[in-house]
Amino acid sequence: MPKKIKKIGITGGKGGTGKSAFAVLLSLKLIEEGKKVILCDCDVECPNDYLISGKKLNRPAKNIFAEFPVLNKKKCAKCGTCVKACRQHAIFQPRDKKGNPGYPIFIKDLCENCGACWTVCPFGAIKTKKERTGKIYAGKIKENLWLVTGLANPGLEETGPIVAKTKKFALDFAKRKKADYILFDTAAGTHCPVVSALLGCDFAYCVTEPTPMGAYDLGLILDLCEKLKIPAKIVLNRADLGRKETIGKIAEKFKLEIEKEIPHSKKIAEAYSKGRLAKMGKIQVSEIMKNL
Amino acid sequence: MKTLIKIAIASGKGGVGKSMLTSSLLMLFAKDKRKVIAVDCDADAPNLAIWLGEPKNWDKVKKISVSEKPAINNNALKNMAGKAEECVKKCRFGALRAEKEKLKLNPFLCEGCGACEFFCPAGTIKMKPVKNGEIKTKKTKYGFPLISGQLYPGETGSGKIVTEVKREAEKFNGDIMLIDSAPGTGCPVIASLQDADFVLLIAEPTPSGFSDAKRVLEVIEHFKIPWSIVINKYDINFELSDKIKKWASQKGQGQINNKFLGEISYDKNIPKSISNLVPIMETDLKAKNEIKKIYSRLRQQYQRT
Repeated sequence: MPKKIKKIGITGGKGGTGKSAFAVLLSLKLIEEGKKVILCDCDVECPNDYLISGKKLNRPAKNIFAEFPVLNKKKCAKCGTCVKACRQHAIFQPRDKKGNPGYPIFIKDLCENCGACWTVCPFGAIKTKKERTGKIYAGKIKENLWLVTGLANPGLEETGPIVAKTKKFALDFAKRKKADYILFDTAAGTHCPVVSALLGCDFAYCVTEPTPMGAYDLGLILDLCEKLKIPAKIVLNRADLGRKETIGKIAEKFKLEIEKEIPHSKKIAEAYSKGRLAKMGKIQVSEIMKNL
Repeated sequence: MKTLIKIAIASGKGGVGKSMLTSSLLMLFAKDKRKVIAVDCDADAPNLAIWLGEPKNWDKVKKISVSEKPAINNNALKNMAGKAEECVKKCRFGALRAEKEKLKLNPFLCEGCGACEFFCPAGTIKMKPVKNGEIKTKKTKYGFPLISGQLYPGETGSGKIVTEVKREAEKFNGDIMLIDSAPGTGCPVIASLQDADFVLLIAEPTPSGFSDAKRVLEVIEHFKIPWSIVINKYDINFELSDKIKKWASQKGQGQINNKFLGEISYDKNIPKSISNLVPIMETDLKAKNEIKKIYSRLRQQYQRT
């Protein structure tokens, strides 16, 4: 029987609380415990795990495509079902010279490639055309630790599907490498791309900071975890810079405890800003990540 | 001539100081008797009210709907063996499943495309708007209005709610609108930037801060919006701060304006003071004067303000 890979989400609601740094440090702790780990950067709009680990994104391991509708005029009966189905109002049906309904026109800028039009077309007259919307990169950070990064094309609106495809790739990759753990580092926020990243996780670390902003956004992400039925664990970063009570109150509201506190550390900040976080020494890592 | 000027604040990376800068500039504009409108477009995690020191007591909270979800009527499937399964197979997002000939929806997988309304037997599925967000407004103690969006966690429509929040904000009478955008480069950010007259980028001098600012700049340049950049916590990495400044001045070549607008130093007292709900502009921290400088350069550089 293949072993079950443990899936952990790393999220937080607010941006800049240290999600990525925590994800890298947790990976280091796990490999030091003898585990094989895949770190999957699901912040596909602004992925940073490769930067703080001092890596480059070279050749993509895979391209991600989305489908857009193309009309096959020979099959089209001009029935207008696709026009009615399109909730983005991205399909326009002009009239011909006699005033009868003409062929539908697809307006690409408005299309969110949901596929409603080609799913509902009674005549199978809408084909699809693939266009690249993102890329997936994979590489080794160090022994027993690999990084999978999803990257959305700039200007792409819906990035949830990029996250979903990156995760699928990472899971297959993890199976090939016989990994024990896969860590999904999410974007900031509480919507599409974050939901995609958290779905299917065994539990999630919610990294926050002791400020009222951190507290408010923590409340939102804990709410999301509850809705998704994913157990949440609170990590309080820069625990000494602000007021811990504010986080304590939110934790209490959700009947949780602060699982782990990490004090502000110049060393982490420096390693982060120089792209050397993955090179942090064993002793340092186990000191920062103790009791976890 | 258009009278209302829209300035959006963006960064790509989260937590680098968008709301801090927005709140401070709002207070400075208000002090100079300019009619400003504060708009928080980070509907995932709206924090502008906190940075203004008044997160509570909204004048108005309006529940809104920014997406539709299928409402299922399983009675319509009675005596239609196998039909539920057929519907399930047609959903591209795997959001439908069938249990004992009954359809069930997983709302977190549903994209709200509405195709199911068409391919399921008549009367089974009707797309219905869901109340999934709210727009909060208030008159702040500084005299200007604040309009803030909140999309409930896990709901879809983060771009649409931004458009709604901006529409609500436009109802107020003002000269300058400051739009605090979400991190990232996707839906909500595109909706925040779309009709802005000017973008203020803020970056911190870390490889990720710089990289993410460049990512969001691709969106800004796509919309051909004039912009300039502020470096926050510039003293945590002087080398990279200089690199960002050089990059900005190269970007500004051939243009009248220098793209670099100013810098703010790192100060542990900033999170501490906001933890007591004291905005930077009401402290004596170094950042206060640094932001004042940025404010006057913004007004010089972007003279319509």
